[in-house]
Amino acid sequence: MSRRVYLDHNASTPVHPEVVAEMLPYFGERFGNPSSVHGFGREARAGVDTARERVARFLGAAPDEVVFTSGGTESDNMALKGIAFARGRGHFITSKIEHHAVLRAAQWLETQGFAVTYVGVDGHGMVDPDEVERALRPDTIGISIMHANSEIGTIQPIAAIGRLARERGIPFHVDAVQTFGKLEFDVDAVGIDLLSFSSHKIYGPKGIAGLYIRKGTKMVSVQHGGEHERRRRAGTENVPGIVGFGKAVEIRGRDMKDEHARLTALRDRLWDGIRARVPEVRLNGHPTERLPGTANLGYRGVESESIVLGLDLKGIGVSAGSACTSGSVEPSYVLVAMGVPLEWAMGAVRHSLGRSTTAEDIDYVVESVEPIVRKLRAVMPVGAA
Amino acid sequence: MRYSPTLLDHFLNPRNAGLMRDPDGTGVDEYEGCGDLARFFLRVRDGRVAEVRFQTYGCGPTIAAASAASERVAGRTVEELLSLKPQEVEDAVDGLPEDRKHAADVVAGALRAAALDALGRRQGEVG
Repeated sequence: MSRRVYLDHNASTPVHPEVVAEMLPYFGERFGNPSSVHGFGREARAGVDTARERVARFLGAAPDEVVFTSGGTESDNMALKGIAFARGRGHFITSKIEHHAVLRAAQWLETQGFAVTYVGVDGHGMVDPDEVERALRPDTIGISIMHANSEIGTIQPIAAIGRLARERGIPFHVDAVQTFGKLEFDVDAVGIDLLSFSSHKIYGPKGIAGLYIRKGTKMVSVQHGGEHERRRRAGTENVPGIVGFGKAVEIRGRDMKDEHARLTALRDRLWDGIRARVPEVRLNGHPTERLPGTANLGYRGVESESIVLGLDLKGIGVSAGSACTSGSVEPSYVLVAMGVPLEWAMGAVRHSLGRSTTAEDIDYVVESVEPIVRKLRAVMPVGAA
Repeated sequence: MRYSPTLLDHFLNPRNAGLMRDPDGTGVDEYEGCGDLARFFLRVRDGRVAEVRFQTYGCGPTIAAASAASERVAGRTVEELLSLKPQEVEDAVDGLPEDRKHAADVVAGALRAAALDALGRRQGEVG
């Protein structure tokens, strides 16, 4: 296998070399515990503080509004459960296409006596703010809508939803794991009270993420122990991770704009190239209001895992919209919520581009896809899906 | 790599894929709970499998298992095919990961169904 093309950046990204360099001292000479008062501890604390300032600046927030966590999943859980248990009872609004970290946390809250409304999406995967408004109840205590969905990349109208929440004083949580460091936004301008964001989607290390909590938001801690993170998240800080995350955010501030334009062009080149060569292919997601590097394509009547395997054998890494793991295959719940017909949903393949993606990579993928899909369609019974 | 070179070869270059005109037996099997499906067509001469064709819908291992099995069963008597075991199909692709064993089940099931259909038609003719 000669050529390798990674088009799965929504799953994870390689750590930027500048980030690695920034982290290395914190595994060695600056190993101290930030809670320690001595010089070793103070060195580590300085690294954490710098990172927190970098993240806060990027968000348009104050440093003490940023809590570091172990991942996007923890941030989402902290947000929903923190709101819920600070109030004891009440109703949440979220959408049917949230990440499982939000969906399953919300489902669990239902078992604890909370009520949840799951609003739907249109054919492009877009939440309608009017539907959110109609779902509001006198006892609504939180709204959680993702900024962009990882599978299809559709960007949600969070400003309009944020206005609804703010007018009524309801905490608004946004899972921005897929947009943080990719799209420009300001938590104040959008009316966000809580925002989940992650490091390894933006060329930072894994195992580190964050939750923005607007000052004054009534929350309880879900993890108890020491006084870390202003008593909002107990546990010794992942200092090298935090330092790396801070550096990754700083780099995004520098590179994001240029990359946005470049990846949007490459993403469209991929879609235009494939649809010119392959019959019966559709784009899943919004045609324009979409993450710059995300193209989810559905091939009618073909099983997506076969395409992923075919591309893998050509050195190309993409992800399948459906997976047949333990003897049961389910189409993506996101595509189902969008109303994508089964014979298209089962053949969904997500391509997510990143900073290393070149036009040559895209052309190679376009050339590789056509014979794979043609061969698969030759063995697949018509209408079997 | 999670799959054997034999499996990948059959996946990339499936043998005997496609439809058959006027087959002597056809059989379909679908894996319950999973969309995977295999359909086999048999041409029988003197009680033996003279030609095999297949169509599948499913993940790569299912396509590969169908292709490998189509080669392996050629020349067998229809009666022999009635007792085809999934293990033999799995052996034909040099093994399957635990979570893909159903590929062998669905292919063996469809081939057995095709053999049963062929036998039924033959008995129908005799009767």
